[in-house]
Amino acid sequence: MRIKVFIGVLLAAFVTGLFFTAAPVKAAEPIKIGAILPMADSTGIDGSRSMQLAVKQINEKGGLLGRQVKLILMDDEGKADKAAAALDKLVTVDNVDVITGGVGSGTTMAMIPGMKKYGKVVVWAGAASSKVEQAMEGQDWFFHIHGWDYQQQAAFDKGYRELFPTVGGRFEGINYFVAYEEGPFGAGSFKVFKPLAEAAKQNLQGEAFKSAFVGGGDYRAVLRHAKDFKAEMFTWLGYANDAIPIMEQAKEIGFAPAVFAGSPPGWPKDFAKSPLSDGVLFNGYWSESIGKKNKESKAYSEAFSKEFKDSPVTYFGPLCYTNIMIVADAIKRANTLEKAALIKALEATKYASPMGDTYVFGKSKVISHQAYASPKLLQYQKGKQEVVWPFEVATAKMIYPFPAWDKRDKAGWAK
Amino acid sequence: MIMISSIASKFKEKNFLIGLIITIVAIIVVGYYKPAVLIEGLQRSALYAIIALPMALLLGVVDVINLAHGDFMMLGAYFAYFLNVQFGMDPLVAIIPTIAVFFVFGLVVYFLTFKHAIGKTPLNQLLLGFGISYIFTEGITLIATNQPRKLTMDYVSASATIQGFTFGIYEFVYVIAAVVIFTGLQIFLKKTGTGQAAVAVGQNPRGAGIVGINIKWIYVLTFCISIALISAVGPMMGSRYTLFPHVGVAFTLKSFSLVAVGGMGSITGVVFAALILGMGETLVLSSLEYGKWAEIIYFALIIGVIMYRSHQRQVK
Repeated sequence: MRIKVFIGVLLAAFVTGLFFTAAPVKAAEPIKIGAILPMADSTGIDGSRSMQLAVKQINEKGGLLGRQVKLILMDDEGKADKAAAALDKLVTVDNVDVITGGVGSGTTMAMIPGMKKYGKVVVWAGAASSKVEQAMEGQDWFFHIHGWDYQQQAAFDKGYRELFPTVGGRFEGINYFVAYEEGPFGAGSFKVFKPLAEAAKQNLQGEAFKSAFVGGGDYRAVLRHAKDFKAEMFTWLGYANDAIPIMEQAKEIGFAPAVFAGSPPGWPKDFAKSPLSDGVLFNGYWSESIGKKNKESKAYSEAFSKEFKDSPVTYFGPLCYTNIMIVADAIKRANTLEKAALIKALEATKYASPMGDTYVFGKSKVISHQAYASPKLLQYQKGKQEVVWPFEVATAKMIYPFPAWDKRDKAGWAK
Repeated sequence: MIMISSIASKFKEKNFLIGLIITIVAIIVVGYYKPAVLIEGLQRSALYAIIALPMALLLGVVDVINLAHGDFMMLGAYFAYFLNVQFGMDPLVAIIPTIAVFFVFGLVVYFLTFKHAIGKTPLNQLLLGFGISYIFTEGITLIATNQPRKLTMDYVSASATIQGFTFGIYEFVYVIAAVVIFTGLQIFLKKTGTGQAAVAVGQNPRGAGIVGINIKWIYVLTFCISIALISAVGPMMGSRYTLFPHVGVAFTLKSFSLVAVGGMGSITGVVFAALILGMGETLVLSSLEYGKWAEIIYFALIIGVIMYRSHQRQVK
């Protein structure tokens, strides 16, 4: 009898022990952060790698709330339908705690109904279109860490006004030609140029072109129009696919305006290696050269390089790293994943980012949570992206005017 | 000589003669006032011709619909890109191994897929081609991702200047290729027994079989020649355009319309259709105000030709 009681007590203790040891296993399930990016695009490649780096660093330091962090990456392939499906999967199958990522405005627009339906906390790295901003009005769970189109263009406009006179050029009253891809991205962005050109008393001319992304690739007609227009500044708004062919065809027809600028969401990886890139001005938020003046940026670049034996080529690298770090910082301070507490913690964010700025959320025109890095003017110089404005973070002086094609060295670099 | 005799026979047709005269006059007038249109239009026309001619052979001559036509070109371009990156081979040199490899690849694709759709309803071929196109684009996306790739060769941006007018010279490669492919196809179809047999198979497969033509062999050969030719366009375009998995899709549609406009079975007609489309698009593009309407040329051309042919049939 005693033996039976003894065995019974032992079994009870064993079962109870199992229960108590199993409970911490459940509690130690990782915190799941979902991310949606176009994984094959340079923005998505840099972004996903940087997110993985951030999660690795967080986990090496013990994770969050005593739990490891798990990053679940989904590829939207830059397509609206895939983006919406990726969001559904993250929420309904993976049951993620927070949603991050995002690059394109079009894909973001496709995800907005799902985001509203699920109401998860979203910290969004991309989407510049103010249409997205308008669609997100009144959503307290939406945090945006990218500039809106009108903010960006106004900042770049200011940059041009300040920068050009320092190198002997001018922005007011010039002949300005803008070539834009005929889709929503290009046509929408061009609209922003009009009021700013009027304010600068410029002679603005715009023309649509068919991007290589949708079967185009012959830009000679548009470039000839810009040449005939005697454009002093030329900006093209398109995709990475257009970058090198545009430069090749500009060289081919001998078109070299004083300022040759491009504004794709991400540049092709090998663009800097081509001498055709030398002197091309572009709008952006970051370049590796910022590390010369910013310790967070330097630390990020070194960690990225050590981890992937490569360098990020778009600002979506440090931006997506920032994206994860902002979420992690908020979870840490909220000490819970509960939605209201997490929103409150995110609102109190103050994060020194490798983008070169400290992120603090404030109100934009429409939404209540926006924080973004100060826009910068960058220029390709001898195979590197150099910051030429704002002056306080500039890493090089702007090359002006854009070097004429027949006045370059044999390899094609500016002399 | 082949080309000249082919055109000479066409001269007997009154409509063709009128059309040719109008085209030549229009080209001269446009070229005088807008030399860029003449040169770039010619280059664009040649590109359309080299993309449409292999389809003209397959669809127009032996009546096989290949919806993956542009995707074979895409594969050829990726192949040349790979040869350049791995072995430093110039894309123009890479045309030779591309032709050889894709002739064999065409053979494999034919026996695995198209063989089973020959002689069936056109819908079978359409669905098959669509499926193959999907497999190719998704396959390349898996292997090489959809990250844009571009070979930067110095000669691609080479230019010449005549009396202050600067223009690119690389795309004359398309013109040379168009002449070579057109002449080659004319010789094949009109001067070789196999070519004439291919025409016969296209016109009446059963009849051709009765008179002793090896129909299966004809289908295999024309399919492989078509695939080898379209894939050879890939290396030429690969150094000029940015590569990505869906780069060929738009060219499949244009090839179809050019074959339809040029007339089924008419290699010469396809070249003229390409000339009209290329010149027309370039002319419209040269206008700052109306450039965005260039795409309409393609639709206007195909609708116009269909209506004209329909009218001709009713008159008869």
